[in-house]
Amino acid sequence: MLEIKNLHARIGDREILKGLTLTVKPGEVHAIMGPNGAGKSTLSYILAGKDDYEVTEGEVLLNGASILDLEPNERSVAGLFLAFQYPIEIPGVATMTFLKAALNAHRKAKGEGELTTPEFMKLVKGVAEKLNITSDMLKRPVNVGFSGGEKKRAEIMQMALLQPSICILDETDSGLDIDALKVVSEGVNALRSPDRAFVVITHYQRLLDHIVPDIVHVLSDGRIVRTGGPELALDLEKNGYAAYVANAAA
Amino acid sequence: MVATPVRTPAELALAARYPAERTLLPGTADVIAIRDAAFGGVEKSGLPHRRVEDWKYTDLRARLKTFPPAAGAGDVARVRIAAPAVEGDKARRLVIANGRYRPELSDLEDLEPGLSIFSLATALEAGDVAAVAALKLDDAIASNTAVALNTAFMTDGLVIGVANGVEIERPVELVHIAEGASAASTAVRHLVTVGKGARLTLIETIESLDKVAHHSNVMTVVDVGDGAKVDHIRLQLEPDEAVSMTSLVAKIGREANFDTFNAALGAGLARAQIFAEFAGRDSQAGFRGITMLGGRRHADTTLSLVHGAENCQSRELYKAVIDGEARSAFAGRIAVPAHAQKTDARMMTASLLLSEEAEADAKPELEIFADDVQCGHGATCGAIDEDLLFYLLSRGIPKAEAESMLILAFLGEAIDEIQNQAVHDALIHRVEGWLKTRAA
Repeated sequence: MLEIKNLHARIGDREILKGLTLTVKPGEVHAIMGPNGAGKSTLSYILAGKDDYEVTEGEVLLNGASILDLEPNERSVAGLFLAFQYPIEIPGVATMTFLKAALNAHRKAKGEGELTTPEFMKLVKGVAEKLNITSDMLKRPVNVGFSGGEKKRAEIMQMALLQPSICILDETDSGLDIDALKVVSEGVNALRSPDRAFVVITHYQRLLDHIVPDIVHVLSDGRIVRTGGPELALDLEKNGYAAYVANAAA
Repeated sequence: MVATPVRTPAELALAARYPAERTLLPGTADVIAIRDAAFGGVEKSGLPHRRVEDWKYTDLRARLKTFPPAAGAGDVARVRIAAPAVEGDKARRLVIANGRYRPELSDLEDLEPGLSIFSLATALEAGDVAAVAALKLDDAIASNTAVALNTAFMTDGLVIGVANGVEIERPVELVHIAEGASAASTAVRHLVTVGKGARLTLIETIESLDKVAHHSNVMTVVDVGDGAKVDHIRLQLEPDEAVSMTSLVAKIGREANFDTFNAALGAGLARAQIFAEFAGRDSQAGFRGITMLGGRRHADTTLSLVHGAENCQSRELYKAVIDGEARSAFAGRIAVPAHAQKTDARMMTASLLLSEEAEADAKPELEIFADDVQCGHGATCGAIDEDLLFYLLSRGIPKAEAESMLILAFLGEAIDEIQNQAVHDALIHRVEGWLKTRAA
């Protein structure tokens, strides 16, 4: 589904990813953990197509096709979704207008017609309800005035609407209290399916109690330095990243 | 040796036109004297250029290539069937075609008691004392080139009165239409008096049925009585070939409310001027507008506000979206004399540049002599925020559509202040049309 091969990337003169390789198969949930500055957010932005970064080597294939030359919107309609660590507030753009534009872009790419307004409203309300997103929140501009938890829930709502095949969750747990973490995790778990995969980027093991990964990777200094099962996350929680940081520095 | 300034073709055309037309224009000897004085000023100084501070960003001498002849009557049948600029606003439409008020094309049915509507040309011909008196303006305004040319050449306009205490529910819409295949110029003056405690919504649209280099000069003088509420909205919609000058002069009485919104959507060269004054205490006013420019168009908004009375509040918000090699200029000046304590004024202008060659100039000025005031101003200028754009793109929204959403959001802050829903919607519709053309 998602194949990252020997990915090197830099911002300005600073090399951040130094040969990252990762293969994610349909239905799998991968967790990527790592210390600050390891390149976790860079990885998520590069996958989504933010042009602040320069890919110098390697490739990224989504369902067998390279995505590095695609625009961010093309990657989205190809099935990639990034849940932002810091979802952006967009004053003046109504949430519903935004969701409709996104949904219709995806439908158009699939050769489907636009939804009627009642169809669209029904779809959004159904998804929003499950994530405790009130109709008042839907009436506001995109993410404006949302709390940290509301923003993350809104990200999962977008994910549920767009039905991506690969979901990248960039520190979705940051800024969430325990209740919000539960709601968000339930939202993600509800989307798990044999033909959809997740890459969950996080600092802490806590999120992985709720979204149980199949495979855990440790990212340090721009590379995957260790891969294991869920027990690896527990080990990291106990012993920290020191061993890997030292490793990478050596 | 005396240096004789070289006259531009536009100045030569003006100099040839005025003597030939002055006695044919409407008005008694008093009016001719006012016209002569106004034209004399322009002739003496010539068209203003960039070293004249008020015209720093809009060098009229360089930009005004010609000054076309006065418009003829035009094809009234074409004007009659022209689609309205604002659909469904239920406004009382008064049509001014080629500088002439056309009562036969206007909606004068069921005139509300307390609302009076007359032709300025008729009033001036009849020597109407009030109308003639209303032509006289403070020197600072009268000597402004666009105003002086309007005074010299005005052919007609409307004299609108709302009696004390009368609330006119139905908006009055002044529909300015230029018709004709060859370039012509028009000058129109409206005199609007809204009595004490009265209410009026005044909409102006300025458009041309033909894509030719018409020059329009529309000036509206509004007297807002004590306790009155006036909402003024202007949609300037002329084709790129046109030159458009508008002037709004507003005197705001005590405990009054005045709002004005200018949408500069058309003309290759546009100048919108506002001269406003708080003449009574405890009043509120809003000055807002949007400018949308592409190609090589140039639009200038120049606001001069005298906060001349105590405890008045004003808000100024002007937003410009500039594409291509276009250029937008905003100059806003707020003067607070020593006696105008408790003045509260906040002026903001923001420009969104959509191309490398686009240019925005902003010159906010505060001149404060009172010590107990709250006055602020801000000016921003920048491109579309890359982070916002990336967020929209990352959800699959194509770039052109995402940019349009962000541009509309940027302008929305100003547009959403328009109280009249039909005009608000008509403007949004125009803006969306502009964005579609840009994205195509």
